[in-house]
Amino acid sequence: MLRSVLLKSLRDQRRALLWWGTGLVALAVFTLLFYPSFRDMGSEMQKLAERMPEELLLLFAGESKDMTSPEGFLNSQLFVLMVPLLFMVFAIGMGSGAIAGEEERGTLELLLSNPVPRWRVAWEKFAATVLAVAILAFVFWVGLEVTSVGVGMEAGAGRMAEATLSAVLLALAFGALALAVGCATGSRGLSIGVSSAVGVAAYFLNALAPVVEVLQPYRKVSPFYYYMGADPLANGLNLVHASVLIGLVVVLLAAALITFERRDLAT
Amino acid sequence: MSETVILAEGLTKFYGKQRGVVGLDMEVLQGEVFGFLGPNGAGKTTTIRLCLDFIRPTSGRVAVFGMDARQHACQVHMRTGYLPGDLSLYGNLTGGELLTYASHLRGGVDWGFVHDLATRLECNLSRPIRALSHGNRQKIGLIHAMMHGPELLVLDEPTSGLDPLMQQEFYRLVAELKAAGRTVFLSSHIMPEVERVCDRVGIIRDGELVVVESVQALKARALRHLEIHFSATVPPEVFSGIPGVRDVAVEDSVLRCTIVGTLDPVIKAAARFEVVNVISREPSLEEVFLAYYDRGDADAP
Repeated sequence: MLRSVLLKSLRDQRRALLWWGTGLVALAVFTLLFYPSFRDMGSEMQKLAERMPEELLLLFAGESKDMTSPEGFLNSQLFVLMVPLLFMVFAIGMGSGAIAGEEERGTLELLLSNPVPRWRVAWEKFAATVLAVAILAFVFWVGLEVTSVGVGMEAGAGRMAEATLSAVLLALAFGALALAVGCATGSRGLSIGVSSAVGVAAYFLNALAPVVEVLQPYRKVSPFYYYMGADPLANGLNLVHASVLIGLVVVLLAAALITFERRDLAT
Repeated sequence: MSETVILAEGLTKFYGKQRGVVGLDMEVLQGEVFGFLGPNGAGKTTTIRLCLDFIRPTSGRVAVFGMDARQHACQVHMRTGYLPGDLSLYGNLTGGELLTYASHLRGGVDWGFVHDLATRLECNLSRPIRALSHGNRQKIGLIHAMMHGPELLVLDEPTSGLDPLMQQEFYRLVAELKAAGRTVFLSSHIMPEVERVCDRVGIIRDGELVVVESVQALKARALRHLEIHFSATVPPEVFSGIPGVRDVAVEDSVLRCTIVGTLDPVIKAAARFEVVNVISREPSLEEVFLAYYDRGDADAP
């Protein structure tokens, strides 16, 4: 595991991956265990939801109208907020730690005194972030899949995988943003702060745009729109939307590599 | 004639308004041990980091092995070993793991040599780095810099934290490297250390290279404070007349003076009396610089 910057970065995350993986599987299992009782309450649950303010529903349950259908349940309980939030926190943590974290700990200079170009260090560390998020997403999806069969929920495995993948792409966009801010400034705190603030703003923008008129024209600026806007759980992964997220990752990664190559390292 | 390994021309670095180094011209030749001497904050680390492309010059340039440090950073790093002044290592790895990582990044090293170095420096490679003392981390940093047998070693304050025995071992290592034709560029703020291991010395002060000289020339001009305790009072004029001796003061039976260059005439003069104790003190760096500035004044018409 010490053969390359990529493998070493993954190795550094092995404990985090273990705990995050366990937590995500637990989240999938325990959420789905509630599904049968949720479904059986049926119309009552629906009535309760209809009495809530629309803004609140949009924020925490998304646009699904039928919260007792498998898609409505999964979206409102997991995919609207919890899953993207958790994936993003992990990706931002790794993205900000990649360069800025190592720079602040003072180990970056020694690493770069070896014959490895700066861009490659940043690139391999981002590749490690991609792999780590993918690993987490995979175990989460397995947890979902197995439990959904157990509780007799009829949501296609393929659809759940596509929704999870969409969340991965969203998280990687914010991971790339964290990497870019860290690469440009060398400050881990700034990297985490900027990425989190943009993430929260993007979430609210996308969630509230349908009911807040002033936000409406800007909804498509929010990466969350490209994550959930086409409802991948119901309709499958929208390739155009996925491409937008991938494009965002590519642009931010390029910005990270270029700014890192150009600046002075902090002492 | 030896090949130039490091060539700095008009090298200038400002951090915003803060001065790093200004207009530094310097040449380090192949096979020499070049000492970079100056107080903390004089610009030693700035210069070293410019050589390795960790920071970029405001103006001027620096070439290593004839290659621009910026354009060919990777090729320079391939042939160079570096020990940072402010060493931080991965605390979660053991020394051996850290060196394994570095060796992979370098495409393999001779592990026999690495273990050899570890044995000589009495460095335990199997303990997690976070559990090691400052001195033991420094040893791992030194092995990391030397493990691939680089043509050039750039060492920023290499002996800081090493106990005296390990310092001696380090000096022997440097001598061996020199004998093998390697080039060593090391910074220090300790005059005797530089005198001991270096061939040539560059003295830097407030970001400017004051002088580059051979160690022999430096020694000849070096100041030394001497204190001689006699069994009885001695006449000061015996010593004040000797060339190179100044600030002669006799207090009861104790003579204090400052000597430029060799101690020999003073010792010979003192031998006529009964000597109880001799205390010689190396000058501080500041005094070494003052000696240079005094000389500058004396040369002026």
